[in-house]
Formats: sequence, C-alpha cells, structure tokens
Amino acid sequence: MKWTICVSSELDEVLAFLGNGREVHALERLDNGTYRSSKATAWQPGHHTLGYFRQTEPLKALFFPAREFVGRWNDQSAREPMPERIVFGVKNCDLSSLSIFDHVFLDGVCPDPYYAEAREKTILVSTDCSAQLDVCFCPAVGEQPWAKVGYDINIATTPDGPVFEIGSERGEELLRSAGQYFEPAGPELLETLEKQRARRYEELVEQCHRHGLMTDTDLTAAVESSFESELWKDFAEDCVECGACNFICCTCHCFLLADGLDEAGQPARSKLWDACLFSGFAATAGGGNPRPLRAERLRNRFDKKFIYFPQVLGRYACDGCGRCTEACIANIDIRDVLRRAVDESDALHAHSSDHRAN
Amino acid sequence: MNPTLYMPIPATIERIEDETPDIKTFTIRPVEPIAFAAGQFVELAVPGIGEAPFTPSSSPKISENMEITIMRTGRVTDWLHTMKEGDEVGVRGPMGRAYPIADFHDREILIVGGGCGVGPLRSLLLALVEDLDAYARIIVRYGARTPDSIVFKDAQMHGWDQGGALDVMLTVDEASSDWDGHVGMITEILSEDYLDCHADDGVAVMCGPPVMMKFGTEKLLERGYQPENIYLSLERNMSCGIGQCGHCRLGRYYVCKDGPVFSYDEILSNPRLWDD
Repeated sequence: MKWTICVSSELDEVLAFLGNGREVHALERLDNGTYRSSKATAWQPGHHTLGYFRQTEPLKALFFPAREFVGRWNDQSAREPMPERIVFGVKNCDLSSLSIFDHVFLDGVCPDPYYAEAREKTILVSTDCSAQLDVCFCPAVGEQPWAKVGYDINIATTPDGPVFEIGSERGEELLRSAGQYFEPAGPELLETLEKQRARRYEELVEQCHRHGLMTDTDLTAAVESSFESELWKDFAEDCVECGACNFICCTCHCFLLADGLDEAGQPARSKLWDACLFSGFAATAGGGNPRPLRAERLRNRFDKKFIYFPQVLGRYACDGCGRCTEACIANIDIRDVLRRAVDESDALHAHSSDHRAN
Repeated sequence: MNPTLYMPIPATIERIEDETPDIKTFTIRPVEPIAFAAGQFVELAVPGIGEAPFTPSSSPKISENMEITIMRTGRVTDWLHTMKEGDEVGVRGPMGRAYPIADFHDREILIVGGGCGVGPLRSLLLALVEDLDAYARIIVRYGARTPDSIVFKDAQMHGWDQGGALDVMLTVDEASSDWDGHVGMITEILSEDYLDCHADDGVAVMCGPPVMMKFGTEKLLERGYQPENIYLSLERNMSCGIGQCGHCRLGRYYVCKDGPVFSYDEILSNPRLWDD
C-alpha cells in the first residue's frame, strides 16, 4: 500500500524520531553552499539538513566504500555486523544508481554478502530536489529530480509543509510507528506538489537544452554509431587520466582486489575503487592491453554506461548527476561529449539516408 | 558470510616442474578439493602479494590437486617462480564457462594450441582421452616459438600420436639443430597439406596468444569450420572472477563469468576482439 501523508508537527522532531536507534547519515551544508554526507548517532537539528540538491560525494560510498577490508589470510572469522542505518536527503540520481550496484553485487554469479548486509540494514529517506546545480542534466538520461523507485520514504518540502510518501513495506512500517506526527495529505497539497515537480523538471530540461541535449535522444545509438569518431581522441587530448570521473561517479562500480599486509603484518585483502581511465586497468600479464590509448579508455567509459548497461540491465549507467563534470580538472563536460556523439550520429544518419534517397 | 567470495582458500605447492626456461608447472593441493571442468579458470594467490587467473592444465577428473602451468611474465608470476615446494598459496574458483564437452560427442575435435596457451587444452585433452570412443577423432595442432619453448614436451603431448588414436602435429617458428619436426607458423599445419579434417561438422578448440588466435581462426573459417563450432579461450584481466570488478569486459560479456570459453559466433561482432 502506498499512501501520502502530511506532517503536522516540527520536521526536526519527526526526523529525530525516524532516526532513533539507528546510525544517522544526513546532509551537512558547507560554507561554499555544497552538501556533504555526515554521520551521527542521531538527527542533529541545525547541523543536519535534507538538502536542496545532491551531496558532492556519491551515495555509493555507503554501500561500496572506496576502501573495504574483505579478509585476512587464513582467517575466516566474520566481520563485525553493520549497524542499522538511516540515510536522509538522498536525491533521485543517487537513489537510481543503486539498481546498478544491486545488479552487480546481488544479482550476479556470487552475491556479495557485505553489500547485501549494507542494503538490508539501510533505510533510504529520499527528498525532492528543490534547486539544481549547473552541472545537473538528469532529464537527458531519462531521470527526474524526485524519487522514482528504490526509496523507503520520500520527503517533498512544499510551501504548505513537508509531504511524506511511502516507497516500501519497511518505510510504511516506520512511518506507521510515527503515526502521531502525520495526517493524510489533501488533494490540494498533492496538486501543489505535482506542479512544483513539473516546474523543477522543466527548469532542468531547459538546462539540458542550453547544453544541446534533448530528453528523448537514444544515447545508446549515438555512442554506438560514433565508435570510430575522432571525438574520443579530441576529448582525450585534455584528459589527464586522473580517474576522478570514475571515482566520483554515482554508478561506476569497478574495483580492484588489492593484496597487502595489515597493521599486524598479516596478509590481507581489500576492495578498492578502480578507474577504467587508468592505463593499466585492462592490462594483462606480459604487456598486453586491450585499450592502450587514452581515447580508447575514455570511449570505454561511455561504452560501458551507454551501451553495456542498456544491453544487460535496460538502463543507462548515468543518472545525470554531473559529478564527473564537476570533478574533471580538464573541464571535460559529459554533456559536451554526449552532444557531440549525438550530433555526429545525426550527421551520419542524415548522410546514410541521403544515400538511400539517391 | 561467504569467505571464499573475495578470499582464497589455502593450498600447498606439492610439486614444481620446469617446462621451459620461463614456464613451470605447479601442482597445488587446496585444503578442500576444487572440482573444475576443462576450460574453467581459478585465481591463484600469493599471500600478501596478489593473485592472477590461470586455467588448470591437469585432468578435470581430479579435484584433490591441480596442475597449473605458468609462464613468468609479471609481478605475481615472477613471485610464483621464486616459490618452493611446500610453500603456501591460495586459490579461488573454479570460475567461468567450461568447454561444452557434452556437445562434442561423436564429433571430430581439432585442438589448436600456441605457446603457454596449451595449458587449458591439455586439461581438455586429458578429459577427452579418458573417453576416446565417445568422439569421432581427436586432432592436435600445436605451435611454439622454438623447440625449447614447447610445453609438456616430454610426455604429455608429444608421443600421444604413437598409438594412432590421436593425430598430433607440432610446429616451431625457429628450429634448433636437433629438431626434426615441422618448422613454420601454426596456420601452415592447419592447411590442407597437413590437416585432413571434417570442417563442416567438426569442432575446433583454440587457445594461445591473441595474434595466433586471430590468424588461426581466420584459417579455420577458410577451411570451412562454422563460427559456432570454433571455441576460443580468451584472456582479459580477470580479477574478481565473478563479474563484478569490471576489468575483463568484452562488449556485452565479462570474460570471467561469460567466458573464458566463447564460441566464435558469440564474439565475432566485437571490434576489439583481437586486441591484447
């Protein structure tokens, strides 16, 4: 059952109630106006916020840490169990990215129990975006600035108060336990919300248009048909292969199993984020490398996101969060890359239909 | 928790045999048996140093121990080559898709190997010879750089042709004074002059360096083998071995979980297929 309710009390009090007994992850607003994820034992009024737009670091870090200890040699003892967690202020781009990680770490030949535990023990409280960053372009990849699926509870702030929406059974259970704070939301409030969302979406669509991106373009076809294009070489001229786009990406999931010694000098293994822009990423023993050129590695990133994932999961592995654009020290804007792929593929198609016409 | 997901199970190096100046065969005994099928691979780990993917070269009928034939060619393999009998390593697996041996019944099987790529093929051959009557004929064509670099030269490969059950032929790129076999590229001994085969319904299985597999496949197609009947063992940087870490992607496949054995028709559309 999915129901929508309106809070009738102080929001901080409700959020503190929901976070009770759980490790709380919420947003903290920094002086430069950005948000970062901040961990605490409880919701902290004044310090924690739901945020107008996404946090700087990707949500994936809570489920797939940048460095995760996975085991010690000859030691099969289980890891410390993870605490129950609640994450406040998740934006749709990050929320949507989790289906990529679920596919990789849960649906494969050998599910990852650590990831499964992290997902199991984490309640996701998403919130609508009420502002956008210059780099945002989610409508161009079929996403939107409010939660679609995958949330337990969604909170949309409106001039008439916050609207809570239930997205899962455990979200419903949790909100029921806080029933005293809520009353049903009336149709007018829901209409206000719908208009507010439509307005926000339109603003994002306009921002996409300003960067030459439409909302219904087949980006798979664009990247596929520009495989031999010079565009990869052109953008790779500026790329310094720092891997920042990979690390900051809300969907990039590649990792390295790294062996070394722990503090006690015992052989141990960790899972580290890896980056397909690094020259050695696909290298094999004996000096072989399927992608020796930076242009090939840059293209591989788009191939993975816009060809591979549509093939295996029916979705792009890009949610339009724009973090890669923000992080790139060479100022490569993913929207420029996609626009050029689209333009070149349009030109190619126009050319081939000319041929057919003749 | 599943400790073997990312962590290997301990194994002891029982025996180390020199094959060539830079190739050794390691017999390892894991603390619990690992049952694998020919063509599947394992991740072999050196504690605290790293791990790398290898396809066992021993019979898949034996699970208590396995032989892995390793060329010294990188950080992990350099380290392995310094190890002694009795030393501890770790193993994860088996991983990936094996040769579809059940589909080979009653058919002629052509096995084409190059260099160190003969490891998985030996495992396949050992599985096949246990049940020779089940197959129409088994042909082996193997190429190496020099006579010195032929792997398994003493017993396992050379000499099998003596009984007549197998049709085995070797070639080397450069002969030495004591070499009385064929000299030339592997593609030469796949030509009409040296290979009498039933290409239309036969099966071909190939493993070797990418350049050899590229030209070998072209030759087999020219001889009339069907793309779906040519099986290739591909090499990419298989790291996690379970389709998660992203290193071995080839088009829509991960070589670790969808391969390493592919039929040529599954992968022929990939423009990056032969890049090593």
